Amino acid sequence: MSRPLVRIFVDRLVAALIALCVVVAVIPILVLLLFVVVKGLPGLLTPGFFTDPPHPQGVPGGGVLNAIIGTLEIVGVASLMAVPIGALIGIFLSEYGRNQVGDTVRFISDVLTGLPSIAFGIFGYTVVVLTTHHFSAISASVALAVLMLPVILRATESALTLVPQALREAGLALGAPRWRVTLEIVVPAALGGIVTGALLAMARAAGETAPLLFTAFGNDLVQTNPLQPMGALALTVFRNALSPYPNLQDQAWAAALLLVLLVASVNILARAYVRRIQR
Amino acid sequence: MKRILVAVSVAAGVLLAACGGNTTAVTNPSTGGPTMPIPPQAALIGAGATFPKPFYDAATYAYNLKFSQVSINYQGVGSGAGIQQLTKKTVDFGASDVPLKPSEAAAIGGSDKVVQIATTLGTESLAYNLQGISGGQLKLTPDTIAGIFLGTIKKWNDPALKTDNGSLNLPDQDIRVVHRSDGSGTTYIFTDYLSTVSADWASKVGTGKSVSWPVGDGASGNGGVASRITQTPGAIGYVELAYVLQTKMMQAALKNHDGNFVIPSAAGATAAANRFIGTSPSQFSIVDAPGNDSAPISGYSWIMLYKDQSDKTKGTALVDFLYWLVTDGQQYAVNLHYAKLPSRMASYDIFVLKDVSSGRSALLSVSS
Amino acid sequence: MGQGTAERVAPPPLVVTRRQRRRISGDGVFRAIAVAAAALILLIAVIFVVALVIPALPAVTRFGLGFFTSRTWDPVKTQFGALAAIYGTVVTSAIALLIAFPIGLAAALYLAEESGLRLLRGPLSFAIELLAGIPSVVIGLWAFFILTPLMRDKVDPFLNHTLGFLPLFRGSASGYGYLTAGLVLAIMVLPIMIALSRDVIRAVPRALREASLALGATNAETIWSVILPYARVGITGAVLLSLGRALGETIAVTMVIGNRNEISASLFASGYTLPSVIANEFTEAVGNVYLGALFYLGLVLVLITITVNVLARLLVWRFTGSEPTAA
Repeated sequence: MSRPLVRIFVDRLVAALIALCVVVAVIPILVLLLFVVVKGLPGLLTPGFFTDPPHPQGVPGGGVLNAIIGTLEIVGVASLMAVPIGALIGIFLSEYGRNQVGDTVRFISDVLTGLPSIAFGIFGYTVVVLTTHHFSAISASVALAVLMLPVILRATESALTLVPQALREAGLALGAPRWRVTLEIVVPAALGGIVTGALLAMARAAGETAPLLFTAFGNDLVQTNPLQPMGALALTVFRNALSPYPNLQDQAWAAALLLVLLVASVNILARAYVRRIQR
Repeated sequence: MKRILVAVSVAAGVLLAACGGNTTAVTNPSTGGPTMPIPPQAALIGAGATFPKPFYDAATYAYNLKFSQVSINYQGVGSGAGIQQLTKKTVDFGASDVPLKPSEAAAIGGSDKVVQIATTLGTESLAYNLQGISGGQLKLTPDTIAGIFLGTIKKWNDPALKTDNGSLNLPDQDIRVVHRSDGSGTTYIFTDYLSTVSADWASKVGTGKSVSWPVGDGASGNGGVASRITQTPGAIGYVELAYVLQTKMMQAALKNHDGNFVIPSAAGATAAANRFIGTSPSQFSIVDAPGNDSAPISGYSWIMLYKDQSDKTKGTALVDFLYWLVTDGQQYAVNLHYAKLPSRMASYDIFVLKDVSSGRSALLSVSS
Repeated sequence: MGQGTAERVAPPPLVVTRRQRRRISGDGVFRAIAVAAAALILLIAVIFVVALVIPALPAVTRFGLGFFTSRTWDPVKTQFGALAAIYGTVVTSAIALLIAFPIGLAAALYLAEESGLRLLRGPLSFAIELLAGIPSVVIGLWAFFILTPLMRDKVDPFLNHTLGFLPLFRGSASGYGYLTAGLVLAIMVLPIMIALSRDVIRAVPRALREASLALGATNAETIWSVILPYARVGITGAVLLSLGRALGETIAVTMVIGNRNEISASLFASGYTLPSVIANEFTEAVGNVYLGALFYLGLVLVLITITVNVLARLLVWRFTGSEPTAA
């Protein structure tokens, strides 16, 4: 074959390989979603799934009410801790943080994002569970809050940096003190990015399992007291998957589907919010 | 007028006397048996063995229906974890198929700091997953079990297995051993049995909640092992009977001490237990029991709690619950194929529960 | 008018006016709050270090560096060594990268292209973002029930049949083990690999590409001779960040790794990874040495992931000139 033809052949081959890889890259999510929906939907539609806690073997029915409330409460409390603090740190970084202290904070935040999720569980266990001698939802919330913090603070800093400097200068020129410029002009302008960051962090936290294993501990009963051990959807999926009872395995799939729907809708919400703010 | 006043005050006095004290009693209509103490409001946390978990789940559910002021959250995280969390005081009671060993007792501050009660009696099966061979058909002896778990018997059609199972068509398939990956009392009972019947096992591996398994994959909890066996063709593992029967797994007939092949059952567990009259936390092994019908891999399961309860209300609720568990609560165990606690063990438990106190006052007030 | 025209300017009033005071304290308070928040994260970092290092000390003093070369993990005899767990972590991560790197890079090349078939670009981006958001436990659930039997019944026997001359593919397969765990990790790492590589490739100056094409090079030659060499540093960073993610993944791997503290040449064999050991045995570790050994493992894991992540971010930042967009 002549040289040009070889080159063209190679070019076409590479293009084909790239196309193949693109197709392969899409397969996992499709297969995953397919199975989660097909195997999870029956459980989701079973009466009592949303309204009952799990029943012991021998008592028919049961659901994941304890886990739904648990996930909502644990993530909710974690967000109450992480969002204000994360936003404040983000504000610090963008407004006062162009120095060594700021760089240290950014470094720590990067380190935290890369940590294995089990490390946050260990953190929650040693800092809260061992000191209070109690497994509790609050220890899980603390672990998740630390996990969420870097995500929120990075998103806040990015969003604030994107606000044009002109806006700040205009506020200052009008005589407003710096803190008012930040709080009343810059932050509202960056709100889209901040809220998105918070929502994405919450979605991630809702799906985490390892930090909950030795903090929230799990609870088959519906529990709202944050000082008590609590169940969560991620725990239900993990533990039921490893159980031999078919009805519990079905609940695992259904809880997984619920988690995916929850996470996906929060992601879509965040995106829609950004688009609305940008208009 | 005066007579009415006297009558009212006498009635009030009787009422007050009846309602006084921190435990009032309710006669149990179903059994007509010992009166159950009414517990104060409490949320209790327990952790530990998966061996008795089906029973504990049913019992805590029933107890909560009966006394809605008490909720009990039990997590089956394995006997080892149960003891550890009790030591760290993050749970109110720990559950283990094996009472505290000396090192664990030392970590907790001495064996006199805890009360250990036997709450149920169960037995372990060897469950397997083989095509074309139904439950109860496979016969296993102490030697073949040891061989399989030591890795010397690697395939299902090994001659050693064929000797006892001549009529069966054992396939030319690898034996996939499944064991526990977590610290497990079920493992302890199983390895205790193997160490008793196989000198090879005793010297090479030994007894313990966690051992160095020569072969096999690890799964978490009795449930995890059961699940792994059901999903893996050619698998075999040791699982508590309740799990096997509830999920309709195939289990082997086991050769007991007397040479009979028995299918593990609650009755077999009772037969084994009755061979050991002096059971206590320091002498608890009932494996390889003599007797025609004894199930060879049987054991009690225990709950441990601190003798001195720092929280009086919780402590009272706890002992009230445990009292119910070893008396009326046993009916839930029977439904799930555990054996009923022999009455001598129940008596021992109640006797020991009376030692639990908060500060100076004993918490359990029952007549018997 | 006022003071400015007098001969001697009156000194500023000693009493600070209300307006001045409010301005000072407002800014000061706000700044103080922001600084306090930043200090909080520093405090968290310190607590983290303390919470990891101190419980690990009994094991560190007992085993020292020999911890890394010992294969024993025996709670009964209190002898612990991290070698099997480290081996499992390395092997599964290597498999994950070997699979995710080519596929991810190719998909990223497609996404970063300006011309060519636009059709799948949107759906691919969307699919990858969706995948990135799926919780690890859901992937583990799917892997446990669907992937494992598939590996055991179809894929592993096939590999054994065709490549069984290699020690990697010998032995019987239970469906759990290094290969399955590696595959699961590849799926989880793919989104990061694609997103980061896309950013890196986009950062290659268009002029370079266009110059190459103008000189008559084909697309493939441009990619091979111009884009990839230029983006080498950034892509290495992307690979390292993916590695960091793979190293730390806990739940999905724990569900399919087989939980066996062994080192085996065969990829079909069951093993253990650093996060899996911790997840499985943490609540039941009795005694300071056992618990210490688990913390020691955690310490090792954290140090490795931090090193890999920091290195990676330095490389990617330097190349793209901005923050990596995927966390």
